[in-house]
Amino acid sequence: MRLTEAAAALRRREISSVELTLDCLARIEKWNPELNAFITVTSDLALEQARKADAELAGGMDRGPLHGIPVAHKDLFCTRGIRTTGGSRIFAEYVPEFDAAVVERLQNAGAVLVGKTNLHEHAYGITSENPHYGAVRNPWDPERSPGGSSGGSAVAVATGMALAASGTDTGGSIRVPASWCGITGLKPTFGRVSKHGVLPLGYTLDHPGPMAQTVRDVALLFQAMAGHDPRDPSSVNRPVPRCLPEEGEISLRGVRIGLPRNFYFERIDKEVDAAVYFLGYTAEDLGAELMRVQVPDGEQLNTLAHLTLLAEAASVHEPYLRKRRKTYGDDVRALLDMGRLVPAVDYLQAQRLRKRILGVYLDILKRVDALLLPATPMTAPRIGQKQVEICGQTEDTRIAATRLLRGFNLLGLPVLALPAGFSSAGLPIGCQLVGRPWDEPLLLRIGAALEDRAGLSRRPPRFA
Amino acid sequence: MRSSLLPDWAALAAAQKIELPEASLQRLESLSRTMLGLRGMLDWGEEPAQVFQVDLPHPEPRS
Repeated sequence: MRLTEAAAALRRREISSVELTLDCLARIEKWNPELNAFITVTSDLALEQARKADAELAGGMDRGPLHGIPVAHKDLFCTRGIRTTGGSRIFAEYVPEFDAAVVERLQNAGAVLVGKTNLHEHAYGITSENPHYGAVRNPWDPERSPGGSSGGSAVAVATGMALAASGTDTGGSIRVPASWCGITGLKPTFGRVSKHGVLPLGYTLDHPGPMAQTVRDVALLFQAMAGHDPRDPSSVNRPVPRCLPEEGEISLRGVRIGLPRNFYFERIDKEVDAAVYFLGYTAEDLGAELMRVQVPDGEQLNTLAHLTLLAEAASVHEPYLRKRRKTYGDDVRALLDMGRLVPAVDYLQAQRLRKRILGVYLDILKRVDALLLPATPMTAPRIGQKQVEICGQTEDTRIAATRLLRGFNLLGLPVLALPAGFSSAGLPIGCQLVGRPWDEPLLLRIGAALEDRAGLSRRPPRFA
Repeated sequence: MRSSLLPDWAALAAAQKIELPEASLQRLESLSRTMLGLRGMLDWGEEPAQVFQVDLPHPEPRS
């Protein structure tokens, strides 16, 4: 059941929060041993919260659409009294004394916490092959990666182990798993959702955000997560407009959608290309105007983003890397070591160029309302697959998976990732809609229109 | 071939007693090569005060 359907059924008294929660816990018990989506399952707490939600609703107290809805948090969000590992050995026994802002907000909205999801160690990677808690597996094909770093959250949502989940995106960590697991995720504008209580990776690149099965579900979750938080200095104090797209067929008349003629459609799998173009034509059919645009060089943008992340992550982890070096997995340790070598001048020049390229994108986004792009150039690779072949070229899997995504973390623009179709092998294909700063409502509206017309989020994975 | 304009990443790593896999060294090489080209895009006429904004707390002045 989807979040919006569950919320409506709860209010019609057709189902209770306890029943929804028991269903999620049963799915976790059945599938988690194989898919490894959760590090910690909070069954007792979940049932206690669900009973409270039912009692409140029965007594006429309605906290809104998330009231009584089972959700999961990526194990990077601090949860008071519940261990928060960050997918690492270093924080294996860390039990925070406070809740992250996102956790706090969803709790106040009445959500029920079913558990903490598995992730790439320290959220620094896109495979979710965690050396300490095991590899997360893709529910469409358990031999394949679900993507990462928010891999457990994506799997939990795709299989109904939770109706929604939190994720974080520093270089594609919401959008890669959303794309490979056939769900929807939003990387909000930088500063829109508080980072307070999220274990950091890249100070200026981390974006907490929602993950759910459909665009409208994501909209509900985003509405609850977003808002100013003085505890996060990068949190921006501006009102959050109503984000839930209207019901019924949405017209896209008057909406201009840009399709880049360079970089984003070069060197991508043919099936990915066809699926994203199909969505573009669907948008046109709904009244949108498609426009070809020239965007700044993506490789250059990726270089700036990668240098920035290498340096920032090395700064975050410096004390742990010195004292507990051996507790890191090989891939994460190598990235942190690389970061120690990045020259300060390169980091600073990257920040100057970041502003320049953002200016170019903001100009493009004056001519179009959103950009439609593929999310990843290929579908989910096999677990352990180090290289992929795309258009006859062999690439490092990690670099290939993030090369269409990473730049938007540097620019801080909002990006909605949603299903675009399926490959001939039956694996999900994802796309992304990039918008102007703070314009999440328009992205969600376009996304909902495409989802309604194309019906791509209605197909269940093998484990559902 | 390695350019003399680029750092010798293997030597830099060795100097800091860091052992990096070959793939990581190649990635650093590739990043620094792109970064070298990107320097041409820097705006040297940029107002220095606008390059970085450091938001320090501003206590109320004592009267």
